[in-house]
Amino acid sequence: MIECKAVSKTYQIGDTVTEAVRNICFKAQVGEFVVILGHSGSGKSTLLSMIGGLTRPSGGQVAVAGEDIWQWSDNKRAKFRNQTIGFVFQFASLIPTLTVLDNIALPSLFGEGMTRAARLRARDLAGIVGLSDKIDSYPSEISGGQQRRVAISRAFLNDPRIVLADEPTGDLDEATEAQVMDVFTGMCRQHKTTILMVTHNRDLIKSADRTLVMKDGAIL
Amino acid sequence: MGLLWLATQNLSRRAFRTVMLAAAVAVAGGAVFATTVVLRGIDQSLTRGLNKFGADLLVVPQNALVNMKTALLTGEPSTFYMPESVIADARAISGVTKVSPQLFLATANGQHCIVGNAFLVGIDPATDFTVLPWLTNKLERPFVGGDAVVGGNSPYGLGGLIYFYGQYFIVYGKLDRTGIGLYDNAIFISIDRAYGLAEAAKKYEDVPAFGFKRGDVSAVLIQIGNAAKANLVRFALARNPEIKVITAGNVVTSVRQNVAVLFGGTLVLTAVLVIGNILMITAIFSSIVNERRRELGLLRAIGATRYGVFQLVEAEALTLTAMGSLLGIVVGAVLLRAFTRTIGYNLELLNIPFLWPSLAEIGVLAAAIVCLSMLVGTIGAAYPAIVGSRMDPYDSIRAGE
Repeated sequence: MIECKAVSKTYQIGDTVTEAVRNICFKAQVGEFVVILGHSGSGKSTLLSMIGGLTRPSGGQVAVAGEDIWQWSDNKRAKFRNQTIGFVFQFASLIPTLTVLDNIALPSLFGEGMTRAARLRARDLAGIVGLSDKIDSYPSEISGGQQRRVAISRAFLNDPRIVLADEPTGDLDEATEAQVMDVFTGMCRQHKTTILMVTHNRDLIKSADRTLVMKDGAIL
Repeated sequence: MGLLWLATQNLSRRAFRTVMLAAAVAVAGGAVFATTVVLRGIDQSLTRGLNKFGADLLVVPQNALVNMKTALLTGEPSTFYMPESVIADARAISGVTKVSPQLFLATANGQHCIVGNAFLVGIDPATDFTVLPWLTNKLERPFVGGDAVVGGNSPYGLGGLIYFYGQYFIVYGKLDRTGIGLYDNAIFISIDRAYGLAEAAKKYEDVPAFGFKRGDVSAVLIQIGNAAKANLVRFALARNPEIKVITAGNVVTSVRQNVAVLFGGTLVLTAVLVIGNILMITAIFSSIVNERRRELGLLRAIGATRYGVFQLVEAEALTLTAMGSLLGIVVGAVLLRAFTRTIGYNLELLNIPFLWPSLAEIGVLAAAIVCLSMLVGTIGAAYPAIVGSRMDPYDSIRAGE
């Protein structure tokens, strides 16, 4: 499903060249739940952004279903992000001017359009993460943990084949963290969704099928 | 629901900023709208009024050029005379199709005339082609000797009775308002009755003698056949050193020169407002795009194309400028309405003809201002929109971390 071949990313600031990701090679199968473990600055978020078509690698290939996504046009990659990928970022990443329901349904705006069906699905997802009573609230009116759950619901709106989650439980309490992990594992098992989750929390390893450890931009 | 929905959500949830920006656009849009309406009124008045004038050439005594222009534009009584031989001379020129004389005289103040210091114009009903053919508001019978035609500003209605020097006239027709003083303020009677009035006035000791004798005329209006060349006719007429030939274009040019400063000032004002608004929108939307980097990066992450981000920023600018310009037009219209009299009075002081454009024309002007404002919004937001669309999504998402 996902194959990284010698993927690397370097940043140049002035004369200083920093290798954020170095020669990463790995595969993730359909329905596999992979946790990428590493400390802050180990390059795991950068790797996730390259797999998700957000940051162009400096070298190597990122193939999804056998196709190098960085050979595609920008529009095709945008469609890929909309239809195939679900992102959960480190921070809540909600649009402050939209309600919880509209935030969850937002990806449909760039696909089928924000249809009634999309909003119904968004409502269902809000129910799954326990936010049925908050769908008309704005992000500023709910807690950080609730905002995170909204972002997770949004990632699943288009039934993506791949979910890329960057520290999705970062600022959640234990009970909510368990609830969120149940959502991830449930989706992974029921819908054969491939999940790549980046975290520094070793407790999350138990939910994963496989764990990769990153340090200084490389997989150990 | 699409990007426009998202744009309106963004605008409505940031109400204070939206209202302030819309107000800034409204000030500019309202100012341009109000000045455009006034200028259109002046231009329309000149064009319509002088088209109605109908004559290609106007012959007046050599020294009466300035007085004639004043008489035409303001309707102030002007009196100057020349021999009637000019009529025959004009008719004899090849290419001339219509010739009609006019005689100008002023009414006396006091009890002898119903309106004092009014501009009376004697026309020849048999040859006139500048007054009677334009009458739509008239009695259902032909014009006769005892009739008068009043201008659009006159308080007298059809069938009313007016008198000058003991002579009574029935108001036969009333001209539509044109903004041109002569047609709005003057009173037209037959030239024969005008000569008669001069005779009648002699019996009043307090009325000074009119400076003409029967047969004299003040102006001769000439229409030229399509094939004829106006310059050739003018050249032929100019052989008479006692006369001066004026074209309608001369008068329009003369007035336009008078209002050139106004036109020029308005153009500069419009240009300054347009450029100022473009710069303001560019600056503010650059700030907005920068402030919302993470939001735009997020939209890219969930499927927005670069063009989609560009469209979103542009949609916000378009919505904002459309709202602002509509608000400006409403405010501009209210101010125009409130200052209708002042505007008319001040333009009259400057000898500038003015006629309010029709509602349909004002509507078209308003639509044009909205379109112009939206164009300003599009141009102003273009650079920030391009910058926003080209930002690296991942860098944008991590902005501020």
